[in-house]
Amino acid sequence: MKKIGSMILAGILIVGMMSGCGGTGTEQSAPETVDGDAKEIGADAAELKGIYSGELERGVTIRVLENDTAISEGYFQELIDAFNEKYAEYGIVAVDANMDQYSNLADDGPYGYGPDVLYQANDVLMKYVEGKHIYPIPAQSMSCYDMIPQAAWDAYRADVDGTEYIMGVPVNIQSSMLFYRKDMLPDNWETEWDKNGNQIPDMAESWNDMYRYSKEIVDRGEGKFGYMRSLYDVYFSSGFLFSYGGYVFGDNNTDATDIGFAAGDAAVGANVILQQAELMNEDCIDDSVTVSAYSKLADGTYFATMTTPDVTSLFLRELTNVYEKEGLSAEEAEKKAEENLVVTQVPKLPASGDLTEENPELIPLKTMGGVNGYAISAYTKAPNACLAFVEFATDYEMVMKRHEYLGIVPARSDAAQAAGGISEIIYRNLDQGDIVIMPSIREIEQVWTPAQTFFQDLAKDAFRTTDKKYTSIDLIKEGLESVDQQIYDAIHTLAGGQ
Amino acid sequence: MKRGNRKNTVHDVLKRAGRNVKLSMCVMGLGQMLYGQIGKGLCYFAVLVMAVIYFVHRGFKDLAGLFTLGTQEADTWLGIEGDNSVVMLLMGILSAIAVLFLVYCYLSNIKDAYETQKLCERGGRPMGFREELKQFLDRKFYKTVLLLPILGVCVFNILPIVFMILIAFTNYGGSTVPPKLVDWVGIDNFVQVATLSQFAPTFIRILGWNLMWALISTAVNYFAGLGLALLLNKDCVKGKAFWRAFPMLAYAVPGFITLLGFKFMFSYGGPVNQIITGMGHRAVGFLDIDAKWMARIIGFTINAWISVPSIMLLATGILSNRDASQMESAKIDGASAFQQFRHITLPFVLFSTTPVLISQFIGNFNNFGIFFFLRGGLYIDGYFLASDTDLLINWLYNLSINNNYYNVGATISLVIFIITSLISLLIYTNSTSYREEDTFR
Repeated sequence: MKKIGSMILAGILIVGMMSGCGGTGTEQSAPETVDGDAKEIGADAAELKGIYSGELERGVTIRVLENDTAISEGYFQELIDAFNEKYAEYGIVAVDANMDQYSNLADDGPYGYGPDVLYQANDVLMKYVEGKHIYPIPAQSMSCYDMIPQAAWDAYRADVDGTEYIMGVPVNIQSSMLFYRKDMLPDNWETEWDKNGNQIPDMAESWNDMYRYSKEIVDRGEGKFGYMRSLYDVYFSSGFLFSYGGYVFGDNNTDATDIGFAAGDAAVGANVILQQAELMNEDCIDDSVTVSAYSKLADGTYFATMTTPDVTSLFLRELTNVYEKEGLSAEEAEKKAEENLVVTQVPKLPASGDLTEENPELIPLKTMGGVNGYAISAYTKAPNACLAFVEFATDYEMVMKRHEYLGIVPARSDAAQAAGGISEIIYRNLDQGDIVIMPSIREIEQVWTPAQTFFQDLAKDAFRTTDKKYTSIDLIKEGLESVDQQIYDAIHTLAGGQ
Repeated sequence: MKRGNRKNTVHDVLKRAGRNVKLSMCVMGLGQMLYGQIGKGLCYFAVLVMAVIYFVHRGFKDLAGLFTLGTQEADTWLGIEGDNSVVMLLMGILSAIAVLFLVYCYLSNIKDAYETQKLCERGGRPMGFREELKQFLDRKFYKTVLLLPILGVCVFNILPIVFMILIAFTNYGGSTVPPKLVDWVGIDNFVQVATLSQFAPTFIRILGWNLMWALISTAVNYFAGLGLALLLNKDCVKGKAFWRAFPMLAYAVPGFITLLGFKFMFSYGGPVNQIITGMGHRAVGFLDIDAKWMARIIGFTINAWISVPSIMLLATGILSNRDASQMESAKIDGASAFQQFRHITLPFVLFSTTPVLISQFIGNFNNFGIFFFLRGGLYIDGYFLASDTDLLINWLYNLSINNNYYNVGATISLVIFIITSLISLLIYTNSTSYREEDTFR
């Protein structure tokens, strides 16, 4: 009987794989796999036989903890409806776990209250590895395995008791993008601000040109700004440090005894932030820019900002409102907003760190990113059914649906290619190593407050009239070393007795 | 004192215990049954039986778990259920409470049998079960009504407090959280808190600021509330009901909403700075990294905004009981308004509100929300994982929740508990409310 069940499951998986291959739309040929020569990572299905018998549990209910937006936008309902229909003959029903999306599996799972399947960011999911609160995934046997780049799988890679496992299945890549207003570019940008003639304005390609244009806007004295961003935000500011040699944890973000915010020439990157702050107003010190960026980019107070692509619709909505107030019809306003709001990859940095340098050598800005994905709770009574759900939710068709509903950037190469635009750019950046995935170890929780305090202090320094703290690269480096020390203290000092 | 009212000593009981009492010592309820109190005897016996079942079934295991905190680590991947130290600690405390309850019932059973023996010796008749039950609706009614509250206090107050106290003596926290096994570490956490070079200076700094915060904010809230109540008590004030209701709006809005609102108001992009920059001045960092005293003063003010209405209401109620003739006499005798306040109103209000004042002090000492919402997420130089506006409770949060050190958090909680208890007791026992309880009766 077990053998028959296993064969059925294997058959379903093969059909799933084939449907993933075949469902790419008419314009899509067979999907290209990524990292064709990449080594296989994680324990395989045979090694995980103790967990996944291969026999689908019948008559079970799987509680799925999904992202709030996926629920509110209707994607999740569509997902579980499709899954439930497909697995109706087995009596497997997927339902909304109906829990707070940030609920803690380590607290709830052991007592039977947690979800069976979780969709969260890699840093959240991976903190469950230490206590074995989530099951490893037989990634190599999944249909999406070859479609997802190694860098995304790496976010879910963990070494447990000397064996390497994959703990989650990547679905969505998060990273920073540059948002700017095309209609706020100078009239002569094609002749004066496009040195390489590639039809992309220089300010979107180089931070030096963005700095120069921001200065031009500020110098007009109209109360308008060029590039604006809340600089205290570690997620967006730390990339400037990473670009010059900084890192969060050593040994590929796995060694919490080696903290590297001050490593290499990270202080040069911090100095870039300081130079940017000088062309902003005090709103960049706290979250004021983050809160008002949508409306201020729309009303033309800001020319550009940097944020994640999942909020594109909010910018578009605000810009459409502004155009409607200017007298355009709803349709015209929406069209114009879509034309004028440009979402593109972040500009490059000067290797010297000097934003005033003319014709600098440029290096890519590494941005902090995250990989959201699915994991399976180790407290589930139906691991095989959960695996079938994850397989179903990560196939091409569902990932494309997720992209359509939520505007996510797919981790699957075929979906990213089909989605095009931002998805392709972010996917490429991840592949090229320009996106630094948030560390997947528990200690990441101790990083945010010390780093946030430093960035706030750095931004504030631009507005201090007396007693400026960061007047040289050495002093900035000292500040970063102090951040490293605080993080170290937070992680290790009180752990002496542990 | 009559002999019959004398308390039974253990020696008396052991020396004078008759056969039935000795049987009750051996088997709970047996003595009562032999005295013909079948219902009561069965109740005691039932307690014994239930206790035996509980202890055989899990009580002894739970009690042993309280000492070991587990011996087998769980491994979900291998299907090993293992021990959960935290649950074992909790269940261990419950089993300890069960032991205490059993001891109480046992002693009560002996005492009851001995009292019945004495009653019979005096020629009395033991009460029947119904009569005994009726007593719980009459002479012992206080026991009936107190039963549920006491149970509630045990489960919802005492159990968590004991749990927290015991956590301070374990290594629960950091990476040692279930499924890893937690161990007892004696007073290591207290030694660590007292000796860690980064820790002690931060503790002393925060404690100093915390005491200052609690004293000043309690005084500000109290006198502002009292002042407002006195003002609105004046005959010349028109529309008193409206003015009294007005501050209640601030009180009615949930505290954290108010705090987030004020945070926005004082942020760089908020309305206060918009007015300032609109007037041609530079924006002010009311709550930013350099704003130590500015942020503290804003904290005092917002706390007053939230707390003054409740004090005002309280004082309004108390002032309505003021002896008008006393005030009239003082006025005739030539006392100034301040003298009337200083010598009549204040002592009168203070007498009635000292316990409230203490609870306000404790509440302010442990006021988590104010600086968490206004200025959270900062670690300032010279402080260990804290900022210069953090109170001990905020620091406790940083250490225990943000950084997972539940054991250190529990240790600091105990220290806070000792400090606040000592201060409260000191204030209360020296207050007129305690020393001159009958003054205003």
